[in-house]
Amino acid sequence: MGSVGKLSLDGVRKSFADTVALDGVSLDIAEGEFFTLVGPSGCGKTTTLRTIAGLESPTDGRVRFDGEDVAGVPTEDRDVGIVFQSYALFPHMTVHENVAYGLNFADPPEGTSVDERVTDLLDLVDLSGMGGREPDRLSGGQQQRVALARALAPEPEILLLDEPMSALDARLRETLRRQIKRIQTELDVTTVYVTHDQEEALAISDRLAVMNDGRVEQVGTPREVYERPATEFVASFVGENNLFRGEVRGTEGTETVVSVDGTEFRVDDGDLAGGDLTFCVRPEDLTVDADTNRFDVAVDTAEFLGETTRYYADWGEQSLVFRSPDPHDTERLTLGFDPDDARVL
Amino acid sequence: MPSIMVAIGFYATFGENGVLNTVLRGLGLSTVELLGTLTIIVVAHAFYDAPLVARITAAAWEGVDSETTETARSLGASPLRAFRDVVLPQLLPAILTGALLTFIFSFMSFAIVLALGGLSLATVEVWVYDRVSQLDYQTATALAVLEMVLSLALTYAYLRYEARQRAASTANPAERIDLVGSVSKSRLFAWGYAVVAFVVFVGPMASMVIASVTGAEGFTLRNYRFLVERQATAYEFQVKPLTAVVNSLLFGGGTLLVAVPMGVFLAVVSTRNFRGRKLIDTLGMAPFAVSGVVVGLGLLRGFVFGTEAFGYRFTIAGPVAIVAAHAVGAYPFVTRNVAPALAGIDDSLVESARSLGASRARVMLDIELPLVVPAILAGMAFAFAISIGEFDSTVILATGGTSYTMPVAIERFIGRRLGPATAMGVVLLVVTGLSFVVIDRLGEGGFGG
Repeated sequence: MGSVGKLSLDGVRKSFADTVALDGVSLDIAEGEFFTLVGPSGCGKTTTLRTIAGLESPTDGRVRFDGEDVAGVPTEDRDVGIVFQSYALFPHMTVHENVAYGLNFADPPEGTSVDERVTDLLDLVDLSGMGGREPDRLSGGQQQRVALARALAPEPEILLLDEPMSALDARLRETLRRQIKRIQTELDVTTVYVTHDQEEALAISDRLAVMNDGRVEQVGTPREVYERPATEFVASFVGENNLFRGEVRGTEGTETVVSVDGTEFRVDDGDLAGGDLTFCVRPEDLTVDADTNRFDVAVDTAEFLGETTRYYADWGEQSLVFRSPDPHDTERLTLGFDPDDARVL
Repeated sequence: MPSIMVAIGFYATFGENGVLNTVLRGLGLSTVELLGTLTIIVVAHAFYDAPLVARITAAAWEGVDSETTETARSLGASPLRAFRDVVLPQLLPAILTGALLTFIFSFMSFAIVLALGGLSLATVEVWVYDRVSQLDYQTATALAVLEMVLSLALTYAYLRYEARQRAASTANPAERIDLVGSVSKSRLFAWGYAVVAFVVFVGPMASMVIASVTGAEGFTLRNYRFLVERQATAYEFQVKPLTAVVNSLLFGGGTLLVAVPMGVFLAVVSTRNFRGRKLIDTLGMAPFAVSGVVVGLGLLRGFVFGTEAFGYRFTIAGPVAIVAAHAVGAYPFVTRNVAPALAGIDDSLVESARSLGASRARVMLDIELPLVVPAILAGMAFAFAISIGEFDSTVILATGGTSYTMPVAIERFIGRRLGPATAMGVVLLVVTGLSFVVIDRLGEGGFGG
């Protein structure tokens, strides 16, 4: 990217003794952006975050803050705030002392005393009046918010969140993620968020990077990544998906005819060259009442999810997943999809 | 517990007029002469080291994944069978470790052998001491070197074994749910431990206390009166009880001043990753491998008598040498307490503090050290206990001088009559106990609890 962002990584590599954790990661994150690194465990997302924080130094490549290389700048001079998965609250300090700790090394905003700053932040994270508590007397969600307030107190340039909610239960996670998003928007602080939960990544981010095996697979807005996955990995990691591998047989108008194991499908996804190709169809786009691309499947398992039911079905050698609000008791079904809903990878 | 106290406790329990023989006499049975026999020395050491083996084994037992036993049970093994087939093999390394340590400690044992066996059953240590008191430093040094080689070899074997065990250990530190049966087993275990603890600690100590206040005619304070009178009337060459108490406390304080900073520093260093860390680790363990008598002899020959170098004669005073010897013996305990606590601190605490702007040194001061205060206090208590109970090197360094401590005083009294020695033992017990209370209070007050 041409523009100089708030934070940029340029071909960052990191290898440990016998593993390559980051294999050339390049990112450009804009001022005030809520940017998420998402991927399975071991994909390098936490290492990327730690490299930004200065807790790991890259084997190769550059990390720039406002266009300036920060190589060799220790963590304490980087102006970052970190919230860890474990919250890492200092157990021997009260909530107030925890939040105030960073203000030993940075002045509070003009016209504010340290105490006022701490009070403001505790108000911001809905913990008014909790300053005197010991951290271990707080619930997980409260501890998480103290950690957030502590990280924000010295007004960091960049806020780094490393799976801050993975230790919490699902319902609390959803509440807190709205709160984090609200606070981030309110303060307009550039934020890098690490999570393995793709649903969370879609819900909270302005943009996200899907990582796998030390590389960035795709960067985009949640909608772009969901609707136009760039790689097979992204297609199957972000949301559920059905992959079809076939061979191009020809074109009919805007549609391409693809043969998958002898069955011909019509796919409408721009101009396509001949040869082998893979396309994907989301479970919600595979329906029993589609007019086109119909094929017979044998239903294997049904999972009732409330507003919908998820079905696993066998089509020849391949296992497919689809969703439908209606119950299907029969073992055999005919499914189909709109040529428009197929995405070529 | 100071080894000299074990010795005096055994004296009081098994001596000619000890508890055991009193009971036997009361039952109309013939008395037994146990003191000065190999049996009593072995028994004393066995009792002295049993808690150590129990601790190591218990720790290993906690590391045994309870699910392995449960699996064995579900496959049809009886509780006993499951223990034999699944638990015992996993405990074996720990039991062996305990055995090796016991051997090393007994090998280097001094006070107990000296007090209970005397020269007729002298170990190398006692022999060294005897040579020193006969001013035969040549023989003493030769023996000391011989002993050091042996004990270093043993310790090296132990460290190698321990390292191998640690490398091979894959046990899940799963929470220990009851392994065999339910309440019965843990209760049995607890009772067993209580009995051992009673026999080992409470028994000899109680005997000592009882012996100190009983005489031929029943209850008496004669032994304490002796201590008081001795304080008032002692000749220059005799041991004054109060001086011993004061010396012990002074040396204990001095030891803390040296051993605590040194131990904490080594702990900090040993939890950092850098080249040469192995060396530091070894340095931390070295004093375990060298016996007190050897340290004492080394300091005596090297510094108290003086060393000639560059045309000057360097000498240090006896008390300084004693504090040095105690500190050498004590700092590994500080390190061993503090290092795991430091290593146990979540990295993310340190990283959080740094991201908030704190320098590395500041993090150490603000976060890490405050969090290991309990470990430092425990280390202090250990260091103080080591110093106040230390006998082996003190007795060498205090030869002929006035820097004798309570344990040395006890030994000098034992040589003549048991009564005053037991009374002195009680004084040692009380002073040690009070010191622990003071250290505990200090911690609460000084660090805001």
